[in-house]
Parts: sequence; structure tokens; C-alpha cells
Amino acid sequence: MADVILEHGPQSVSLANQIRLVAGLRWRLLRNKMRQRNNVMDMIGMAFAGILGAALVFGLSFAFFAGSQAFISRGRASWMALLFWGIFVWWQVFPFFVAGFGANFEFRTLLRFPLGRRAFYLIGLAYGLADFSSLAAVCWLAAMTIGVAVAQPGLLPAMLLVCGIFVLLNVTLERLIGSWLERVLARRRTREIFFALFVLAMLSLQLLNPLLQRYGNTAIPLFSRWAPYLAPLPGSLAGAAIADFAKNSPVDAFAAIAGLFMYVVIFSAMLWLRFAAQYRGEELSETLAATPRAAVRQPITGVTPDGLRFLSPAVAEVVRKEFHYLLRNGFSFILLILPPFMILMFTMQTSSRHHGVSVIGASRSAFFPGMMGYLILVLMSPAYNCFAYEGRGVQTYFMAPVRFREVFLGKNLMMAAVLAVEIALSMFVFSLRVGLPDAPIVVATLVAIVFTAVGQFAIANWSSLSFPRKLNFGQMRGQRQSGMAVLVAFGAQIMLGGISALLFFAGRWTGNPWLPTEAFVLLAAAAIGGYVASLDPLSNYAERKKEELMEALCR
Amino acid sequence: MTDAAIVTETLTRRFGALTAVDGVDLRVAAGQFFGFLGPNGAGKSTTIKMLTGLLAPTDGRVTLLGVDFAAHPVEVKRQIGVVPEGMGLFERLTGAEYLQFVGRMYGLDLPTTRRRSEELLEFMQLAERPKTMIADYSHGMQKKLALAAAVIHGPRILFLDEPFEGVDALAAGALKSLLGRMTERGVTIFLTSHVLEIVERLCSHVAIINKGRLVAQGSLEELRAGIPGEEGTHKTLEEIFLSIVEHDGGERPQLEELSWLT
Repeated sequence: MADVILEHGPQSVSLANQIRLVAGLRWRLLRNKMRQRNNVMDMIGMAFAGILGAALVFGLSFAFFAGSQAFISRGRASWMALLFWGIFVWWQVFPFFVAGFGANFEFRTLLRFPLGRRAFYLIGLAYGLADFSSLAAVCWLAAMTIGVAVAQPGLLPAMLLVCGIFVLLNVTLERLIGSWLERVLARRRTREIFFALFVLAMLSLQLLNPLLQRYGNTAIPLFSRWAPYLAPLPGSLAGAAIADFAKNSPVDAFAAIAGLFMYVVIFSAMLWLRFAAQYRGEELSETLAATPRAAVRQPITGVTPDGLRFLSPAVAEVVRKEFHYLLRNGFSFILLILPPFMILMFTMQTSSRHHGVSVIGASRSAFFPGMMGYLILVLMSPAYNCFAYEGRGVQTYFMAPVRFREVFLGKNLMMAAVLAVEIALSMFVFSLRVGLPDAPIVVATLVAIVFTAVGQFAIANWSSLSFPRKLNFGQMRGQRQSGMAVLVAFGAQIMLGGISALLFFAGRWTGNPWLPTEAFVLLAAAAIGGYVASLDPLSNYAERKKEELMEALCR
Repeated sequence: MTDAAIVTETLTRRFGALTAVDGVDLRVAAGQFFGFLGPNGAGKSTTIKMLTGLLAPTDGRVTLLGVDFAAHPVEVKRQIGVVPEGMGLFERLTGAEYLQFVGRMYGLDLPTTRRRSEELLEFMQLAERPKTMIADYSHGMQKKLALAAAVIHGPRILFLDEPFEGVDALAAGALKSLLGRMTERGVTIFLTSHVLEIVERLCSHVAIINKGRLVAQGSLEELRAGIPGEEGTHKTLEEIFLSIVEHDGGERPQLEELSWLT
């Protein structure tokens, strides 16, 4: 087929111009985001993050400068590998965490424009260099170069060469990992698994302290034994090259540089193949095409009885829907494993069954209600924005012939069931690790939980209608509750927690162990009465707030 | 008149200084297949939201099946089915779970809900993957599910905001026959669509809204008769629509404005 030539058609754009256009696009996206009126908090957050980021980069730059100067001037050039390893780990790991918070701008969208494959590859690399992690790492490498030059000026050309290759290697590898990550995170399921693993990894950091206490002494010999195996890896090779130049062993130094360069070639080839797949139009979409009628399907009806028949149909359906959402929301699911895990962690670090009394000096009778109060604090917080994950589905509540009290009842019942299970599990873990306190404290704590939970439901329902904020499943970036909802939750929990603490202390001061229980029974009854009385006014309030609610959730 | 299914009186909605819907008086007879047309931003979706209780009017009144919506919202909602703009689906449920949710919210018993749900999923060709979440459905599949949810309880009035958008030709044919069957059974259908050919084929009566005001209402023949032109020539709905909207001050984009294409 002959080429079609347009008389006044588009001209080819130079690579430099294309890079300039992409940089301009990124800047405009950022600027327009800042222009949105409701992003004042984001701007303040960004300003704080900018100040902290600058402090981190400049502080560590000084450390890298001082470290490299000291290593070279004191004849310990082989230790330079430690600095290169630090930068390498930062460069590859930090963007991985950032990716968990979602991408700002999809690089792949550039493919709709007439870019050549080579331009696409080079713009991809340039794009990688513009990240915060890359810029910080380049600053630290520059600081190291200055440090080495100050200590031994003759090493400057070698340092420049090694740093140049090291930058290319890291950018290429980071883009390679990033492009695979993009492919993996494009699918909802893998994105959520990633998110769950990420949160679990963060929680696992809590285990570091007990592990270090137990195995800390054996870690250093273990590391020494394994260190030689790191020699063929990039951080060690870069350090070895500088050390060999410092020892006047150019052959070994160039061998190390050749090793580094080999990595660049391998990673570049792999990245070229990845980008080529993207360039050809790799399909990342996860939506289904309509399936033919002839396909084998499973029966969807069963004779399962309605386990929630004691509830009204609408309330039962909201409970069911909440249950499905709970199981399909990685974040909520992790929130469920958190309480027993936290109990385990606290009791591991502060007390044991044999000691009975904790390291922090709190007795079992004070520790138990305190822990339960902490669990209520953690578990009740989502209730203050209980429509967060509904999305456009919230319209169904307003289209259906139900009063909103039934929606609240369903949601609150589900939350109460979750609380009951969590408290039971946590009590079980607590009794295994420390042992339960005396009966009056256990009973008073359980009734206090009823009082604080029911007392919070009415306030949380009001907060959910007044300060709704949409949250997305399996995403961390931009997933913030409304500031007002957080304040309301905080205020309500301080108030109810304060009342509970006062009553527990009153029992101790008066020497009457059952006094808190009696008082909490009265308060719980009042809270239940108040909650029931709040449902109708809240239904009317929901009707008045429906437009704001839908506007916030249907975006 | 008692056979009016939908009646609005000076229905108005303002958003700050903007009047999105301005004193609309609609009258739709029971059993009619009614098309509600207008250019982008004319006020179609705002009107349909007010008719279905998703948006409160600033002024005016909505009466459905002879019942004042504002006074008896629950009773009225029980009689209507809606496919709203954006479809309003709970994306973390499967299709069957969502239909059960909707059916039960509308007061159907569990066996009836499950039977109808199964039949509707089969009819809409959504039954093959019962464990797939709505979030993983294509746009067309979500649209079909929203339609299934709108009809599961057997409504007497059906409000459809762009029901054919993103639906393939095969499914669109099935949907048209479903809607045709429903009108035969006396269901009133109130539909907005930008595809004028579909509206012309399905609807017996049409209203046109422009800049928030109702500029025409009646049967297709009545609207045709009101358009100037040679007698005896058959005007399509598209010609009627363009003529009425342009007469009301609507401007058609002119190709001459694109200098590089002249």
C-alpha cells in the first residue's frame, strides 16, 4: 500500500521536543490539580511533604559526602560498596511503595500519539529520571562524587564513570520493575492482593523488635557469611570499581565496570521488550466481554434457607451486602485481623502470663479494659464514613422504597456483629497470653463496650451523612477520610472513653467492684434508647443530604 | 384526568445561579412509550432524577400514578423502576447478589426474587459467570444488569436514562422486545436517549427540552405537523428535533469554523 502524504499534514516532532511536551504536560497536570478549590489541604500536605523531602535529601547528601570522603581518605575504599548499596535499595524499593498509592499519570497514554518505538523508550527513561526517588539518588551520588574528589582528586574521572553507569542501571531497572508493576496492578484482583500484602508487610514491621531481641546477636555473623555472595551484584560492583581504582588496580576496576555495564545491557534489553509489548498495544483491561449463551454455567439458585429471616427484608439485604463488601475489601479484611494481632503484639512486648503484671506497670485489670477500648477505637473508625465504599451504588438506597433507617440498621447490625467477633477473638488471645482479670472488670468492660459502641453508632451515622468521602477499593493514594469526620470520631471517642475511664476509676476509689457494671448498664440502656430514637430523624436528615451524599460518592 | 402516569407541574431545579430545569409541565399517559429528548446539558438527567426521587425539586410538583411523590415517596418508589445516569450499581456484588438485593428492597419474597433474578440474568446473557463481580463487567454488561434491576419487581413506570448506550446490537434487540412487552402490559416507559432512530422506532410520544425549558411535547405526528416544510414529505425525528431546537436558539456547529478543513 502506498504511503499517504498529506500536503499540510502533521510534521514529525523531534525527540527533544517530545520530551519537552511530556514534561510540560506533567507540569500542567500538577498545576491544574492545585487550582481545584477543594485541594487546599492537598497543597498544605504537599508543602509539608516537600519540606520533609528536601530535608531528607539534603541531610542524607551530607551523610553520603562525609561517608565517601572518610572511606577514601582512611584507606577503606572497599566500604564505598555500602553507600552504593544504600542508594540502589532506595532507588528500587521507594518507587515500589509509591506505586502502591496509585500512579499519577499513566505513561502508556502517550501511545495514542505518533511516537516512534525509540522515542517511547527514551521518553520512558527520561520519565523515570524525573521521579523524586531518582532525583534524590542522583543528588546523593553527586555528594559522594564530591566527597571522593575532595579526598582523592585523581579518582574523580573514575567516580564520574561509575556513577554515570550506576544511574543508567538504576533508571533502567526501576522502569523495568515499574512497567511490570503497572501490568500487575492494572488488574483489580492483583492490585488488592498487592495492597493487602503491603499492609501486612507494614504490620510485620511490628515483629522486628521481638525478633531482634531474640535473634539480634546471631544476625551479624550470618550477614558476614553471606556478604561474599553479594559481590557480583550492582552495589558491590560499583564499590569494588572505586576501591580498585583507589588501589591502582585498573584491570580489576574495569572488570567491575564491565560487570556493571553488562547489567545495563541485560536490563535495557528486557526493558526494550517490555516497552515493545506496550507499544504494540498490550491489553491491560480487566473487563469482560459478553460471553456466548452456549457457555457452561453454574446454577445460581439454591434451596438455602434465609438465615436472616428474623430481620425485615431490607435490613437483611443491607446486612448481606455489607458482609459481601467486608469479605471483598482487602483493607476492611486487614482491619479484622488487626485487633487480635495487636493484642498479641502488645502482650508479647509488655507482659506474659507468668508475670501477670506488665512491664509498663499496668495491672491486668487496667490493661484489659484499656486494650478493649483501643480495639473499639480502631474498629469503630470506619463507621464514621460508612458509605465510603458504596460508590454509585448509593443511588440504589434512594431509588428503593425504603426509609433510610433500614439502611442504617443493616449497616450498624453488621458492624455490631464484627465487633462481637473481634472482641471475642481478642479476649481469647488476651486470656491465653495474660489471663483475664476478675469477673467484675470483665463484665464491666463488656457492658462498657455496648455503651460506647451503641453510643457511637448514632453519632457515626450522622457523621457519615454530613461528611461523606468516597474511598476506592485496593487503593492507597488519595484515600483520606474527611477531616471533619475524623474530628467527630475523635471527639466522640474521647468523650465516651473518658466517661468509661471515670467509671472504672470510680469503682476502684469506692472499693465497690460492681459499681462500674451497674453504671454501664444504665448508660448502655440510655445509649440504646438514644440510638433507636435517632433513626427516624436521621432518615429525614438523609433525605435532605442525599444530593451531597451522591455528589461525593458518585464521582 | 386519572390515566396520567406522570404529571409534573412547574418542575424547577436551580443549582445556585444556574436554572437547570425551568418550570417543566409534563404529562405522560399510562402505558405510553415516552421519549424525552434534548441536547447535552439541556436538563434531561436532572428532570429524570427529580422524577425518581434522586434529586429534590427547587419548585414544582411531581405526581406519579396519581400520587404526590413528595408526600408519599416510599409508596411511589415501590411502583417505579429506574436506570439512573451512572447506573447506581454496587460494584462489589455479583450480578445475582445485586438483583437479590434490589428485589428484596422492593419487597419481593426470597424465592420469587431468586427465580426472577435467574430468569433475568439468563435473558440478559449475564448468567454464564455467576461469581464475577459487577466491577469486572464490561460497560454493556453493567447496563444490562441495571436494566434487569429496574424491572425485577414489575414496576408500573420505568425511567431509563440512556438505556442503550454501550449495549451491543444483539442485546439492544432483546431489550427493545422486553420494553415492547412491558408497554403491552400497560407499563409506562420514560426514556432519554441521544439515538434518535431508536426513540423514533420505539416511542409514540416525545418531549423536547432545551436550556431547561420544555419546548415541545406530543405524539410524533403532532410534532411533525408543527414543523414548517413541504406538505406530504415525511420528516424524521432527527429533522424534527433539530428544527425545534434551532428554532429555540440552539446552534448547530458549523464546519466552516474549522479553517484547516476548508
